[in-house]
Formats: sequence, C-alpha cells, structure tokens
Amino acid sequence: MSRDRLDALVVGGGAFGTALASQLVRLGRRVALWVRRPEQAEEVNRRQRNERYLPGHELPAGLRATNELPAAVGGAPLLLVAVPSRELRGVARQLGDCVEGDHLLVHVVKGIERVSYKRMSQVLREETCALKIGALSGPNLAPELMAGHPAGAQVASRFQEVVQRTQSLFQGGRLRVYGGADVIGTEVGGAFKNIIALAAGVADGMGFGDNTRSLLVTRGLGEMARYGVAVGADVFTFGGLAGIGDLMATCSSRLSRNHQVGERLGRGERLEAILASLPHVVEGVTTTQAVHPQAESLGLELPIVRAMHGLLFEGWSPGDALERLMALPVGGELSSLRYR
Amino acid sequence: MRAKDRERVLAEVVQRVTERASATPQQLEQSLFDTLYEERRRLEAERHRRSGRAALAAYERVQARALKAGPEEQRALLRELVGGFAAEVAGHFDERIYHLTTKAVPAALTLLFNAVSPLRLLQQIPSGLSRLDDQLEISGETEAFKQAVARGTVVLVPTHASHMDSILAGYMLYRLGLPPFVYGAGLNLFHNRLIGFFMHNLGAYKVDRKKKAAIYKEVLKTYAGVTLELGYHNLFFPGGTRSRSGAVESRLKLGLLGMGLDAYVRSLRAGNPRPDVVVVPCTINYQLVLEAETLIDDHLKEVGKSRYIIEDDEFSRPRRVFEFVSRLFELQSRIHIRVSRPLDPFGNQVDDQGRSLDARGRAVDRRRYVLVGEEPGFDAQRDQEYTRELARAIVEAFRRDTVFGSVHLVAWVVFRWLQEQNPGLDLYRLLRTGGAEPSMPLLEAYRRIERVREAMRQEEAAGRMRLDATLRDGDSVQLLADALAHLRVFHVTPALERRGDRLLHVDRNLLLYYQNRLADRGLPPQGVPA
Repeated sequence: MSRDRLDALVVGGGAFGTALASQLVRLGRRVALWVRRPEQAEEVNRRQRNERYLPGHELPAGLRATNELPAAVGGAPLLLVAVPSRELRGVARQLGDCVEGDHLLVHVVKGIERVSYKRMSQVLREETCALKIGALSGPNLAPELMAGHPAGAQVASRFQEVVQRTQSLFQGGRLRVYGGADVIGTEVGGAFKNIIALAAGVADGMGFGDNTRSLLVTRGLGEMARYGVAVGADVFTFGGLAGIGDLMATCSSRLSRNHQVGERLGRGERLEAILASLPHVVEGVTTTQAVHPQAESLGLELPIVRAMHGLLFEGWSPGDALERLMALPVGGELSSLRYR
Repeated sequence: MRAKDRERVLAEVVQRVTERASATPQQLEQSLFDTLYEERRRLEAERHRRSGRAALAAYERVQARALKAGPEEQRALLRELVGGFAAEVAGHFDERIYHLTTKAVPAALTLLFNAVSPLRLLQQIPSGLSRLDDQLEISGETEAFKQAVARGTVVLVPTHASHMDSILAGYMLYRLGLPPFVYGAGLNLFHNRLIGFFMHNLGAYKVDRKKKAAIYKEVLKTYAGVTLELGYHNLFFPGGTRSRSGAVESRLKLGLLGMGLDAYVRSLRAGNPRPDVVVVPCTINYQLVLEAETLIDDHLKEVGKSRYIIEDDEFSRPRRVFEFVSRLFELQSRIHIRVSRPLDPFGNQVDDQGRSLDARGRAVDRRRYVLVGEEPGFDAQRDQEYTRELARAIVEAFRRDTVFGSVHLVAWVVFRWLQEQNPGLDLYRLLRTGGAEPSMPLLEAYRRIERVREAMRQEEAAGRMRLDATLRDGDSVQLLADALAHLRVFHVTPALERRGDRLLHVDRNLLLYYQNRLADRGLPPQGVPA
C-alpha cells in the first residue's frame, strides 16, 4: 500500500488524540484517527462527536476514524501516538506488527512506564522496528486546542526528518511546533509536570492561594530538572515549552485533569473514589508511582514527589504532606541543580 | 585483496574522497591547505630523519604550487595527495602470497603461527599449536557467523585489549574455516618484525595514527567502505584502539562503523545481488593482558591529559610475547573468544536465515530504513543516528558476552576494599602510596570474593555477563589461588601477593586495570567511586 494515502495517522481517540487530529483536518491534512472500539469510530464518522472524551465538541467533518490498524498504518508515513501511558506497550506491540523501517513515530504520551521506569520512546523502540521516533510535548490542553486557541509545543527527535515532518504537518495552524533533539528532556518534562499539577491541585483544594502555587511550581521545576538531568536530559529543555511551559498551564488551569484530581484530594476525597468517578486516566498518579522509587534508587531528593507518593499511596493526609514539606530545611535555592 | 581489485579500490577511493572534498571552491581550498598544513606539521617533528626531511621538502613544493594554482590545478594537487594516502593505506601487495594464504589457509597459518608470528616461539614448547587449540575457546554464535559470511559481507567487530587480538581473531577465522578479513592495522604493527610481513599480505591496510589530516581519515573510511562493497569481509576494532583502562569498550568510533551502512546503501543502489552487510560483535577475553602495564599507564596519563601514541610496548619485544604465551600455557589459562549474534547496520539482530528481527523477534524489511522517497538513498544525519543505534547494540553485545575470570574478580575485591579503607584519598595518591593499609586480611578477601561471585553468578543467570569455569564453579580458595598465580607469573611486579594470612597489594595500577573490566556492572560494594 502506498505510504502517501494519508499525511498522518493519529493512534488513539482520547481527548488529546482527537484534538490533534481535528487540528490537522482543519489544516487540510489527510489524517485518520485510529480508535480501539468500532462504536467510537462510528460516532466520529457519523455524528462528528467523541462524547466520552470531548463532550460537547463538534469534530470537523473531514475527520475519519477507523479501528483497522494495519490498513491505516500502511497508508501513513507518520504516526502520532496518543494513548495513555499504561496502554502504550499494548498498542505499540500491535503497531509492531505493521510498522516498517521508514515509518516516523511521534508520541504525545506524557508518562513513564511503571515498574520498568521506561520512557515512552523506549517502549516504542522495544515494541516496534521503528527507529525514527520522536516526542511531542507542551502546554496543550485538549479543549483549548479544540477551540482553536493559539498554543505551542516542542517536538524532539534525534532524527531531523522526524522534527521537520512534524513541524510541516502543523505548519500554518494554531499549534506552533518548535523543534529540538532532546527526547529525554521532552519526555521527562511532559511526564513529571503531572506530579506537580497534582500537588498544585492539592494546594488549591486546601484553600491556599497563588503564593503557594508559585512555590510548588518553581520548586517542582527544580525537581523536574534534577530528575531529568540524572536520567540524561539537557537541563535547558526544562526552560522551554515541554518544561516550564507545560508546568504553568497544567498547574494553573482548571481544565487539567491532574489538577482537578489534586484539588479533590486537597478537599479530603479519597483517591480510589476520585479515580472511580473519572472516565479517563490520570497520568500524574501512575507517573508518581514510577518516578518516586526510581528517584530513591538514583539517590535523588525530590521532596514534592515524595510527598505526593505519601499522599497517594501511603495514607498521608494533605495536612501530613504539607507539614512534612514545610519542615524540610531550606538551603541555597539552586544549589541542588547541576547543569549538564 | 586480489590485485585487480586493489587497483579498482584505489581508483574508487581517490575519486570519492576528492569529489567530496572539492564539492565547492571553498571546500577544495580548505581541504587542500588543511592537508598540507597537517602533513607539514607532522613532518616537522621528523626532521631528524632523512626520509622526514625529504617528505617535508616535497610538501613545501606542493604548498608553493598550491598557493599560485587556480581551481583546476588545486583539484589535481588534492587528487595527488589523496592518491598518495590511498596507495600508502593499501600497502604493498604480493598476489602470490595472497593466493598462498587464501587457497591454502592451513598451510599459510602454519607459516604464520610457526614461522613468522610470535607463535613461532611456541615451537619451543612441545606441541605448541595444539595447545593453543586447547586453550583458545571459541564459543557463542559461531554458526550464525559462518552463515552470515556465506550469505553476504561481514564486518567483524571485536573488543580490543591487546595486539594479540589481531592474531587471535585471524586464528579464529581459520579455525572456523573462514577466509581472511580486510583489517586496518596501526603502522607500528607493520614495523613489527613478527607480523608485519603477514599484515601486508593478508588484506591488512595501514593506519598511521600520526596523520591528522581530515582527508587521510576520509581515505581510511572510504577504503573500508569500498572493500565492503566489493564483498571483502572487514575487521574493525570499533573502540578505535586498545582499551587503555582495561574496561570493555562502551564508546565506539562511529566514523568507520558507519561504512557498513554506506556500503549497504551503495550496493542497493547499484543493484548488487548480495547487498547485505552484517556486523558480528565478538569479545576477546584474557585473564592476563600482555600490555597491561603500558596501557594502564597511558590511561592514567590520559586522565591527566598527556596521552601519547604507544609505539614501543610489550608486543614489540618478542621475548616478552614468548614469556607471556608460555606462562598462559603453564597456567592452562584459557582465552575465550565469544561471538555474538550478527546485527544489521541498524542494530537489529539477524537470524540464521539472514532476516533482520525486531526486539520481539518479528522479521523486518531492512531496506525500508534507507528509503528516500521510493528508492534507497543517503541522508547523512539519519545515517549517523542509525550508526549510533548499531553502536548501542554492539556495546550491549559486548556487555552480555564479556567473559570474566578470577583475576578480574579478585582485583575488583581488593581494589574496592582499598578505596573503602582510604575514603579521603584521591585515585592518584591511592595508586602511588597504597593508602594506610598495605595488606588486606585473607579472610576478609574470601568473604568478599564469595559475595561478589554470587552477584556475578546472578548476572550470568540473567544473561548479562559470562563467567569462565573457574570463576563460576571453583571455591573461593581456588579462585584466589588462580588469580594470584596469574598475577604472579608474568607482569614485572606481581600485582598482588599472599603473605601468611594477608594479601599484599604491590602494583595497584594493575589492580585498577583488571578491576576496570567489572566497572558499571552494579556489583557490590556499591557507592565507591572508581
């Protein structure tokens, strides 16, 4: 099958995948959206809706969804993979049956695999034969993308072809895609910010104001950079859209799912009850589960991550977590950050 | 290499290198004058020799002409320089010897091992060659290696600890019934009276590490690439040089390594019916390394930024080579060559049918990696990243297939203990003074040997390293005795000696060298900086 039938295939019909596919269709690109369930494909194709993930939004008429993976993959040179982190390995394994060496794979998944601590690009590498892999990340809340608000993101890959093809795919639209080569930093930024967003939500839920949120965001950025550098990232990435950019949006926006969950935690709701009430995955929870033990094994001190782990999995109350954070000794502000 | 192919290779090399280096007038000028500058600088240091003075004078004449020349003449001068380098790299060639060595490999190797090489000296040991057979253990994916050779063109990429490696790799090829491989050897080896003669005639080409001109490096790379395209199997040491620290290579030279991919793409474009280039990693493992003392000295100087090119080491002294080999034989010390699974130029494993496989074992159409549009083509940035993938896969294979012996374990235990005893001491002072404790209690050594060995057994069970039989199965008393015997017999000073119930550390540089092979393996004790 010719690779040129489509410009891109978006793999995953969640909120972000659907929003990206909609953006591209509006730009006149030939794009298909792969969804797992036939009834979801039907809903997109017949009613231009994806009510479960983007309630109330009308999708562009030209957006076609499919649940036939091999046929869709064979017709597209570039795949934008947008599935939750815990489902990525399974989907990637399916992709591995049909992806070939000339495919470009760009994922937009903001998470780290639990247990293995692997980044999403590593999972794609292990499960497919594709080598030209990249990560796209930034402050991109799906409802705002759907509404056509101007936004920016970074696409990082060691292959310039991946960066250039992704940039030209989004060229001319409302999502400005900047290029980079630091895949690790881009992925760490995207995953780590979910933990900090949870923490910022907790602070909001406890009734604290902007001072507290800024404290969490700034110290959270430091923890992100410390962790990122320890696993091989370029520290400067965290000053860009995939770092501070994403952190600002997700920590201050009520649209952020992680922030919403944090807020409910801060008001004293239990995690299990919150998760049971949501239709979608909360990446911050699984990312905390992955990052905390890895940071311990690397000998890194990440107090906010530590506190969130206590709150989510060790029965700490929001008050406990706050007290422990406030009781920590204060040192030089940047003393724990090593550049490069 | 056959004589007719040699001419073809030379012509191709000169053509390609000159073309690339003169793509624009600025590039042409830069290539030409950079080469002249680098060569004159090198020859300045050789003024004391008549040949050096003559060569310098010749380069000065070319420089004078180049300054007045227009683009056409500059291009001709560059072509001349490239031609000179290429002819020197390809070396002298005697087709009669080539036929002797390829058509009658056993006879040639008998000659190699019994007449000219260091192993000639084995004649002084009864049944020398058969003992080499006994003590050289070749294991791993040897069948897959042979099939890869039968099916396409192979690049063998061994670890590199000693000049002995080239001889042993050659001997392995003979034992497996494979033809000689084209191989880039340092100029010092050609000057080595023991093996220089065969270097010339078994497909070896010359690498002069003193030549720093970029064009010269291009000639070397292109030479390897063109021979691969013509179907000559190559041997590269991907670390570039012998490991100075004693550690297994973890950073590889990508330039030469990338020539496999270059040859693959060119062969696809040319419609070559056998375009495939397969890379076969292998580890060469000794309990003792002939040149250990010189190498670790150089490593320590490099860390202190005064590295030099080693021209005169243990390998250039036949008596030392003889002593080394005979001591190894006396100890019945086995040398392990372990062949890893073949890889394609993108780092994927290749199965026995020659198919590339992804990490889940699914067949991959490797041609698709190099498509530019619908046809195979080059993309310098992409291809560099592919070569990085290949390098990563080779490094992983090296790690999995490194075979450790008692010397590595005991050196690790003693050196780590020394560091623990002297927490404030920097590495150089520790090496020089030995710190506060001149010896380690024997019982403590046994206890630690057992602990580290257990961790190593677990690593082996998980497929992350290999242990030789003594290390895997011997008790800690046998293990320590084996390591002490090795360390005692060959090096000028024994690295470690037993005195009553203590272990005396005598040559800490050597202990550092041998224990470095176990660095980054997560073995206990943790948290002690190397």
